[in-house]
Amino acid sequence: MKFALALLITAAAVWPQTKPYTPPRTSDGLPDLEGIWQPRANGAMYSVLPHPGGFFLGAESKEGVVEGATLPYQPWAAAEVKELTQHMELDPTGHCHYEGVPHAMYFSFQLVETPKYIAVMHENMHAWRIIYMEGSHPKDYLAWMGDSRGRWEGNTLVVDVANNNDKSVFDMAGHFHSDALHVVERFIPMDRDNIHYEATLDDVKVFTRPWKMAFNLKRAPKDYMFLESGCFEDERDQEHLVKGKAALPADHYKQ
Amino acid sequence: MKTLVILGAACLAAFPAAAQTPDLQGIWETRNGAQFDVSELAEGHEIPYLPEALEREQKANRVDPLAHCAMPGVPRINYLPFPFQIIQRPGLVIILYEYLHNQRLIPTTRREHLEGIDLWMGDSVGHWEGNTLVVDVTDLGDKTWLDSARHTHSDALHVVERFTRTGADTINYEATLEDPKTYSKPWKIAMTLRRNTQPDFELREQECTEGDTGRAIQPQYRPAPKGDPLEFVRPYPVKREVTK
Repeated sequence: MKFALALLITAAAVWPQTKPYTPPRTSDGLPDLEGIWQPRANGAMYSVLPHPGGFFLGAESKEGVVEGATLPYQPWAAAEVKELTQHMELDPTGHCHYEGVPHAMYFSFQLVETPKYIAVMHENMHAWRIIYMEGSHPKDYLAWMGDSRGRWEGNTLVVDVANNNDKSVFDMAGHFHSDALHVVERFIPMDRDNIHYEATLDDVKVFTRPWKMAFNLKRAPKDYMFLESGCFEDERDQEHLVKGKAALPADHYKQ
Repeated sequence: MKTLVILGAACLAAFPAAAQTPDLQGIWETRNGAQFDVSELAEGHEIPYLPEALEREQKANRVDPLAHCAMPGVPRINYLPFPFQIIQRPGLVIILYEYLHNQRLIPTTRREHLEGIDLWMGDSVGHWEGNTLVVDVTDLGDKTWLDSARHTHSDALHVVERFTRTGADTINYEATLEDPKTYSKPWKIAMTLRRNTQPDFELREQECTEGDTGRAIQPQYRPAPKGDPLEFVRPYPVKREVTK
């Protein structure tokens, strides 16, 4: 019983209960989530799973961001991850590529709302995406950031992300997906300065079941502003830094 | 009485424009050759280079920074042959460019420029003058080119852009370029931005990185915008001479 309670408390730290909160409205009458948001993503950029300190460049993360702290890989994919973890030089973000969704959401972004679309501008990689509140996913189009179609469910912004290519990854630890990746994001306003961000990820080619990640988005301090992140310079040096070097013991992801 | 009514009508017509900021929102594109040679659109078709700057330019790097996937800078980003979307929010104008997912966040509440920093896209501060969005851009650095004809500038470049809505589907775009290290006087380019009127047209993703040996890049290239002929004001190319 004590053990179960401890588990519950740990779980609650990552998966907060959603309290009803009604944000103010924008001039268009939409729930006002506008502003600059800074994710508290538990080091997800290094690994979405719990990881020790010094893992690549990151600090320790006891929780990670994945529900249950495990990823339901199909056997071939689990083997692939083990291999990719040893090859940081293959990480596309190290080559200045777009992160994709949800990877881009681990980094600060500014959100603006209109009735027809919501625009998300990231500082990192000068990435942006438009979440269209109408229309449907295009055909014959694959993109690093996918194609986002959103809707409001009460005060919650729900975004359906499809058309993902198979090149973006979830983190620097080799966690990957295919072009069958389908993401459903939920932006749940908790109070004026906090949004609970959840993403449900499904990829029938790589995982055995859909899985979830979650973290908190915190409003940036007043007068916080973005600078420019122009990533394209000298990234060819990356392989010299890390090629062939195991950043983690090979058995780290023993399932 | 008649005069009063006319005056009243004139006020009613004029007042909304004065009370609200003009609407520049939508997807826009240029249809000209400025990307290849911006001097074509310069006043007098000539860029007033200082002799020493022209010489410096001739000796400089001959590889277009865009070939290395660099951000194009201002004003070049506006006349690359890719559409861009203008979004307006209170106190903020956002321009999202399809070309290499560039973005500009332009505050329209006046603030000081940043100091001691060079940015590929510069530091943009905007304000409204009547129906015109005026954007003051500094901190541009000296790495970007104005076009693929290797027209360059120094880190002293100061650009003032003016976006004026001239019709349902047109914006007049002007940029004044001032750079005392490079040009003998400020000079100006002007061009029309045209709304993309294709139904359901949405921006797509452009990606470009240098030295990506791992996996193939998958660009979603767009064909050049069709419709109007090039807006060249005189035959291409222009002869430019180096002063020795």
